Amino acid sequence: MLTFVLSRLGSAVLTIVLSSLMVFFAVQALPGDVASQVLGRDATPEAVAAMREQLHLDQPAWQRYLSWVGSALHGDFGTSLVSGDPVAADLGLHLRNTALIAVVTIVVAITVSLALGVIAGLYRDRWPDLAISWLSLIGMSIPEFVVATLLVLVFSVTVPLLPAVVLDGPNATVADLLPAIWLPAAALGVVMAAYIVRMARTSVIDVMATDFVTTATLKGLGRWRVVTRHALPSALLPTLNVIAMNIAWLVGGVVVVENVFNYPGAGKLMLESVYSRDLPMLQAIALLGACVYVVCNLAADLAAMALNPKLRTRGGRA
Amino acid sequence: MDEQHRGTGPGRMRRRTLLAAGLGLAGTSALTSGCGGAGAAPLPVGAATGTPRAGGVLRIARPPASQAETLDPASSLSAYEYLGALYNRVVRLGRDGEVVPDLAESWESDALGLRWRFRLRRDVHFHDGKPFTAADVVHTVRRILDPAMSSPQEGVLSPLLDPAGITAPDEHTVEFALKSPNAEFPSLLTAYQCYVVSEGSGATIGETGVGTGPFRLESFTAAGRGRVVANRDHFAGAPVLSAIEYFSIADMQARANALLAGQVHLLSQTNLDFATARVINASPRTTIARSPNSQWYGLPMLCTAPPFTDPLVREAFKLAYDQESVFGVAIQRAGSPGNDNPVPPGNPMWTDYRVPHDPDRARALLKQAGQENLALDVYTSAYDPVFTPMALAFAESAAAAGIRLRVRNASADSYYSQIWMRQPLCATYWYTGRPIDQLLNQIFRSGSSYNETSWADSAFDAMLDAARREMDEGRRRVLYQDAQRYLVDNSGSITPMFADRLVGISRDVVNYSEYGFEFDHLNIGLRRQP
Repeated sequence: MLTFVLSRLGSAVLTIVLSSLMVFFAVQALPGDVASQVLGRDATPEAVAAMREQLHLDQPAWQRYLSWVGSALHGDFGTSLVSGDPVAADLGLHLRNTALIAVVTIVVAITVSLALGVIAGLYRDRWPDLAISWLSLIGMSIPEFVVATLLVLVFSVTVPLLPAVVLDGPNATVADLLPAIWLPAAALGVVMAAYIVRMARTSVIDVMATDFVTTATLKGLGRWRVVTRHALPSALLPTLNVIAMNIAWLVGGVVVVENVFNYPGAGKLMLESVYSRDLPMLQAIALLGACVYVVCNLAADLAAMALNPKLRTRGGRA
Repeated sequence: MDEQHRGTGPGRMRRRTLLAAGLGLAGTSALTSGCGGAGAAPLPVGAATGTPRAGGVLRIARPPASQAETLDPASSLSAYEYLGALYNRVVRLGRDGEVVPDLAESWESDALGLRWRFRLRRDVHFHDGKPFTAADVVHTVRRILDPAMSSPQEGVLSPLLDPAGITAPDEHTVEFALKSPNAEFPSLLTAYQCYVVSEGSGATIGETGVGTGPFRLESFTAAGRGRVVANRDHFAGAPVLSAIEYFSIADMQARANALLAGQVHLLSQTNLDFATARVINASPRTTIARSPNSQWYGLPMLCTAPPFTDPLVREAFKLAYDQESVFGVAIQRAGSPGNDNPVPPGNPMWTDYRVPHDPDRARALLKQAGQENLALDVYTSAYDPVFTPMALAFAESAAAAGIRLRVRNASADSYYSQIWMRQPLCATYWYTGRPIDQLLNQIFRSGSSYNETSWADSAFDAMLDAARREMDEGRRRVLYQDAQRYLVDNSGSITPMFADRLVGISRDVVNYSEYGFEFDHLNIGLRRQP
């Protein structure tokens, strides 16, 4: 039990270290000399040379990598090449905005899709199941930017209920952003929910066919009680992993959706940083994305363990 | 739109086609409503005119210049849309390319075109109440000449002018003593870097935006939103609108969505692709206004890279392609043929000289150059919606002369730092709106900063100098036309067409007028509510 947890933690840390390497060298490999891209064509050769020196581009790459990681461990991600402000503060503001979308997406998408998945599983092959399965299949197959565009067409252009794009900058208050978070969250939610629905449905069907559910039913327990007390906890286990994977996937989805809605979050900031070659900012966002991904997967595994009766009884409660 | 096409320089992404270019609302509404290419209503030619209501707040969506953009007009990172609202220039360009008064009432030069004197208006105040004087003009132009400013216009003015050559004999007169004669000198002060800022405001102008213009700054956030309010004391009369609000939207599709949803009235610096333009035109809320011949598209041949080091090959490439076909395929003839001449048809100095399409002669020239069966890459990118159709049409057309071109797509964000001026052949575009002297000297003179073909021809440079020295307008026109003919025959520029910019605009807007770098801030307004 403890060894499992420790080994799982160890591999998570290793993954993050490897990601940091990949992030750093992938960013370095972007086409174009950074200094000339940042300074633009009107830059004098002296300015470009000064910039290269300021970025320590004259040092070997591994040395730059080590100093970057060293500072990052202290929470110092350097200063943005574009704004000249510390990366951490700027990124924090954008992350807050992204968190708004993410929280709404996760809470709404997970509750709705779990409920739908369970219903589909319980009504297997009857009309609720067919309707839900079809819908989730459609949701799965459409890329998020198309979903986003369709949502804009329906809810902003045809029926002007919600804003099509955010007109505020990253400094907007939560109250200002409130009307604007629903469409991006819906676009992400639709694609994410599809997977969870299908997984939940499959697990419910599997569990309902097992011996212990049959036994419980034969004992004369009510169907509702069987489902909630016996079947669901086991059925949701495999789904947890899918949920975690989907939250990790949100990291990528958010980049696409934020740009479609001009939403001032970390995803839009990431794209801007790529265009302006704001390397410190880009590296910080990419590393953060990797961390979110790893942590989500780790959480999924640990939660699965906590919920798994076999693991719980063998090693006592962790 | 990129700084550099506006004329300033750094190859920053201004117009991003982020995802699946074209499959935005255009694609989906074509799916849902069946409105597609065929049978769609023709796009309007001009903007609606009429009597606007008094007041009103115009909302403009714009691509941000950069995260570090500024209101300083001299900077290469200026937030372009704000400049014409906040500031005035000494002179500006009229619709037919002529220089017209702005802060100057009149100007004259000596017989040689060496000394220029501008008489300034006496009734002008800055937004902070300070009276406008000649010292402000001296300060403004000296700032542009200061190498530390890295102003894009510095390269245009510094060969002609030293800071010491700008003087103010009295409060309402400015004199420029040029290093060499230039009959077209006033036109060089129409550039949008030359908006006048007040003396001593240099350190703060980037945030304060204090000018003499028709609007005063209320708020501004770099790459964010901002607002300007009407300046009722403006010397040329108060604007119709009570305020303009600006919103930065980097993604072009998101900008179009904001217009369709009624969140903004106008998409600034956005050359819409035809699919999106048709959708916007078909909506009851929005329409299209064309800004005629506002861009010229080109395929610069890099004269310092093989095979274009050989003038025969350059000539063959110009003869090889069918201009009508490229013009038709790439922009559906929404513009004017280019004739390989970058001077726009509306320019008073323009000549209609062109070299007719002749694939057989192109083939013979290539044979003569030892370049039969020439195979080459032509680069394009999603940077602008016209690049790829133009490159494909050109490649197909040139195939008839035995030139095999492979169209290669490059990343949009590094296109102007990695491909342009580095690869032998690529797609590019520029805004029209430069006066002829600036256009020819800035982009075609040997060694000039924006010489995208690296063409260096001392005979051509001498023609430019002769035209500049000629004080008689009729004779000067002849000299500029000679220079154009020489350029069409010898330069590395392939210019298939000028394109109208398709501007997305709300049906509520009246009297929108924009040409070159000039935007009419005084008359634009919102329709009367019925």
